[in-house]
Amino acid sequence: MASTHAMTRRGPSSYKLMRQWYRALIYVTVIALAVVILVPFFWMLSTALQEEGDIFAWPPKWIPDPPIWRNFPDAWNAMPFNLYLGNTVYIVALGIIAELASATLVAYGFARFRFPGSEIVFLILLATMMLPFHVTLIPTYLIWQKFGLVGEFDPLVLRAWTAWGPFYIFLLRQFFLTLPRELDDAAEIDGANWLQTFVHVMLPQIRPALLAVTIFAFRGYWNDFLGPLIYLTDMKKYTMNVGMYFFMGGVNEAPQWNYLMVMSTLIALPVLVLFFVAQRYFIEGITFTGMKD
Amino acid sequence: MPSHLATFIRWLLVPVALTVAAALLYVVARRLLKWNGRQALGLAMVSPWIIGFLVFTAYPLIYSFYLSFTENNLFGRTKWVGLDNYIRLFTVDYEFWPSVRITLLYALLSLPIGVIGALLIAMLLNNKIRGIGVFRTIYFLPAVLPEVAVALLWRWMFNSEVGIINYVLSPFFKLFGIGKPDWFGDADFVLAAFIIMSVWGIFGTNTVVFLAGLQGVPRSLYEAAQIDGAGAFRRFLHITVPQISPVILLQVIMGMIGALQIFTIAMFVRPTSAAGKFMNQLVYERGFAQLDMGEASAIAWVLFVIILALTLLVFRSTPFWVHYETDVRR
Repeated sequence: MASTHAMTRRGPSSYKLMRQWYRALIYVTVIALAVVILVPFFWMLSTALQEEGDIFAWPPKWIPDPPIWRNFPDAWNAMPFNLYLGNTVYIVALGIIAELASATLVAYGFARFRFPGSEIVFLILLATMMLPFHVTLIPTYLIWQKFGLVGEFDPLVLRAWTAWGPFYIFLLRQFFLTLPRELDDAAEIDGANWLQTFVHVMLPQIRPALLAVTIFAFRGYWNDFLGPLIYLTDMKKYTMNVGMYFFMGGVNEAPQWNYLMVMSTLIALPVLVLFFVAQRYFIEGITFTGMKD
Repeated sequence: MPSHLATFIRWLLVPVALTVAAALLYVVARRLLKWNGRQALGLAMVSPWIIGFLVFTAYPLIYSFYLSFTENNLFGRTKWVGLDNYIRLFTVDYEFWPSVRITLLYALLSLPIGVIGALLIAMLLNNKIRGIGVFRTIYFLPAVLPEVAVALLWRWMFNSEVGIINYVLSPFFKLFGIGKPDWFGDADFVLAAFIIMSVWGIFGTNTVVFLAGLQGVPRSLYEAAQIDGAGAFRRFLHITVPQISPVILLQVIMGMIGALQIFTIAMFVRPTSAAGKFMNQLVYERGFAQLDMGEASAIAWVLFVIILALTLLVFRSTPFWVHYETDVRR
């Protein structure tokens, strides 16, 4: 990095040279790190397409020769993953719908309405972001047990109606706050009630935030492991992640790495596709709140 | 399928019940508390969260604290045992201290790498070079990969016999005349392996947040400093760091809380138990494998207290290093 003193003493031509070197250095670093990131992805795919015998070759084989495409259907059919995918999609869909509906309404309430104590309630909401999930885990389990719903999908999807994710509420509230008050006032003067204002005036305005929450919620439900692990006891109700956990085998079993990499690739695929399609909203959502889930 | 349908029907009934509860609250607020219409409406709108908080956060929090003083095996009755669970954990439990140790070490060692690394990467990506959009996408990929896939991928890369990490490092091993380490099987290497894995996390969300923070720093500050003859390093130290210090604070706190709660990755990586289990793993095992809900609650509460203490410590330190925009304007 060039210091300003050196620059002025050596004159403009050496300054230019310095800048060029600096730019070259940045390029090399950016590309080198990109390679470091991409190598594991490549390795995952490469292993997924290798024969069992080739996996344990030393030095490791980088390019599968020939690529064993059969690994994909074989791994998928080694366990009832069709069923698990169906269960996962079911949970993800119910969870996202409930989460979106409730979080939007609650966020609107926090953004536009004041009642005695509303600031304190919002502070508590923010504080719950720091609460470790495991502290409430066991009593929550006991609650569902009392309702007789352990083993059902209910513990994983019903709670979403209570605007479970404080992060989503925060993100949506921040978006609502950027909207001018005149919007509400104009709608009210036109004789719209709060629900009409909310649905027809506010919601269309915060579409980017709704998309961001949808993406985050999708990722959250798709990636959830602990919830399904403790609540789903029947093998027929497993999700993809729980299925993977048992697909991995027992503690002393040697895992079948090519099949596991196939399944890792397939589990990553929906989230990767979603990211490429909606990258803008993903990143906007994160930068808007300066937080992550 | 019938259980899918039953869940679906209950799933439809919950919002109905919540709406009824909200309406009741509205009436109570208006009639009994004499609030005006807007106030009562506000309460009604946020009531789903308040109800969820009371049922699924406040009550479980208090209840787990109570449980930590009891013996409860999930099916039998709950028996009050006072401080027994805690005493047993602190004195005779051979798994507890190793668990605290590895959890704390992992969080404290991975945190600075994560925060400083993400900041450096963000500064790198803040340069205007050709194709930067593509690179930003690539740099975000690790954050998109599901934890389960991350864990399995790294476990495979760390494979002692044929993993690519040992392959890449094999010249070093030869140079020093040591064998290939069994990263997750040898207790001495587990922590190192987890820290290396955590470097993967500096790409992604943290970087995006820092990038947004960097782009919010006014150009004029850098220009003024340059005129005053401040070099690149001093500009970084005296302009960049103070300007984005609130973002750093946020990253430190969220990163710390996240690292202390590591669970899914550890479950899929399956490091040798000789290195110690992460605290959340221990909570899960004691609670759901050994059905010892009292002791599991006690461990969860120790973790909660650790998180609270460290968070408070970080907040206490903020007057010394976090710089808010309002201070300048005053």
